[in-house]
Amino acid sequence: MLNIQTRQEGTASVVSIQGKVNFEVTAQLRDVIRETVATAQPKLLVINLEGVSFIDSSGLGLLVAARNSVDKSGGKLHLCCLPAPVKKTFDQTNLTNYFSIFATEQDALRGA
Amino acid sequence: MAKGLVLVVDDEAPIRDILSFYLKRAGYQVLTAGNGAEALGEMGRSRPDLIISDLRMPEMPGDELCKRVKSDPATQDIYFIILSALDGTASRIGGLSLGADDMIPKPFHAQEVLAKVDSTFRLIAMQKEIKRQNKELTAFQQRVQDEMELAAALQMGLLPKLPGEAPGAGYTHRYLPAEGIGGDIYAVLPLPDESLAMMIADVSGHGVTAALISAMVKTSFENQVRLGGEPLAWARGMNEDLCRSTLAEQFATAWLGRLDPATNKIRYVVAGHCAPLRIVGGSKGGLQRSEVLRGKGFMLGLDVQLPFVEHEAEFLPGDRLVLYTDGLVEVEREDRAMLEEAGLRRICAELPAGAEAAAEAVITQARAFNHPVPFVDDVTLVILDRKA
Repeated sequence: MLNIQTRQEGTASVVSIQGKVNFEVTAQLRDVIRETVATAQPKLLVINLEGVSFIDSSGLGLLVAARNSVDKSGGKLHLCCLPAPVKKTFDQTNLTNYFSIFATEQDALRGA
Repeated sequence: MAKGLVLVVDDEAPIRDILSFYLKRAGYQVLTAGNGAEALGEMGRSRPDLIISDLRMPEMPGDELCKRVKSDPATQDIYFIILSALDGTASRIGGLSLGADDMIPKPFHAQEVLAKVDSTFRLIAMQKEIKRQNKELTAFQQRVQDEMELAAALQMGLLPKLPGEAPGAGYTHRYLPAEGIGGDIYAVLPLPDESLAMMIADVSGHGVTAALISAMVKTSFENQVRLGGEPLAWARGMNEDLCRSTLAEQFATAWLGRLDPATNKIRYVVAGHCAPLRIVGGSKGGLQRSEVLRGKGFMLGLDVQLPFVEHEAEFLPGDRLVLYTDGLVEVEREDRAMLEEAGLRRICAELPAGAEAAAEAVITQARAFNHPVPFVDDVTLVILDRKA
């Protein structure tokens, strides 16, 4: 089970995730992201991965899909606070260059 | 049409007649018997849906009849209502403890009996419907399971036949899908110029969808290889194919390589996949040094625009190549440790000669490391030995 929190920061939405993001929990995370994008229609969606211990390919797929759907609605997706194991997965798949990634949540909220 | 068959058992003829009259008028078919023994005789000829029986009767009393009906698997589903002059809670419990489904105290009103019979038949109809639906569901489940098994067998057929033989190389695999059917796939294709095209891929997700896409990945790889060119061109082509034909969250990590025996080099593209190991001189077994065929690259099927990079590594006669999917090294143990690439390299530091024995050793040792946690993701391991 993932622990997911969402909050609003001005025109930005912040989704904070804690736990292991794998095949079993992607449905839960997908629903939260979809709902956040649909109801808040944020200019900027920040996903804070600080509490994520592990992410598998289904989790990566979900983030890619999230970026595409935010792009389509004219918004932006920023990721922040990637722990070392998650950073490694991103590096291996070159997704580090696919997403806008920030060291802190403040940077992610500020980053244009 | 008759609403159902009721067997009325009572030693008093007037009671049998009254019940028969009312039940027949209400549309039921009625059989009658004067005691338990006669009732069993009637039941030998036709099977009632419901038995209404008196308790006190000569030859065979109602409690004995009830016991026999309810203890025989052939008749235990027949509804049994006891009709008894013994009113009061004690006898009621006594009757139900015999296995009877309901009781009607004597003296009774015919209308009361009729109402009870009607409600019992509604129950019977409902039970029949549930049984029918249950049967349908079981049949459906069986069909789905059969189809899954067929699909799994077909998928196994997509993998190269073992032992894998290519000019100048021999290989084997271990393929352990997480759900009977999985999203891993690999291929080894000998090319006319003596070089060898190789691919291993892991489609995101599990089950049937991933399996379908894995078949697509294999076809796409074969098509690209047929077009000629190098792994970089294959990766671009396969990426386009997958972007075109999959949904938002579906993509594949892959490693694509081409071994040229003339130059002793492998040119390869890493598309988000775990980097394979080259074991220098590994085909002869024993203590060996491994190298990681590193490279960074996007997964296939993310975005048509994404660039890929081609790398090159030495691969000499007698070298061994270890291709795998992340399911092999990413099992989280109870102490949160995972085998990871480093652990796989430790295992590969000493392997037996012969691809088959080496593959077995890798799987066995990975399982021992993870113990007692089983593999949870699809696991594929390919060991390819270049002849010395």
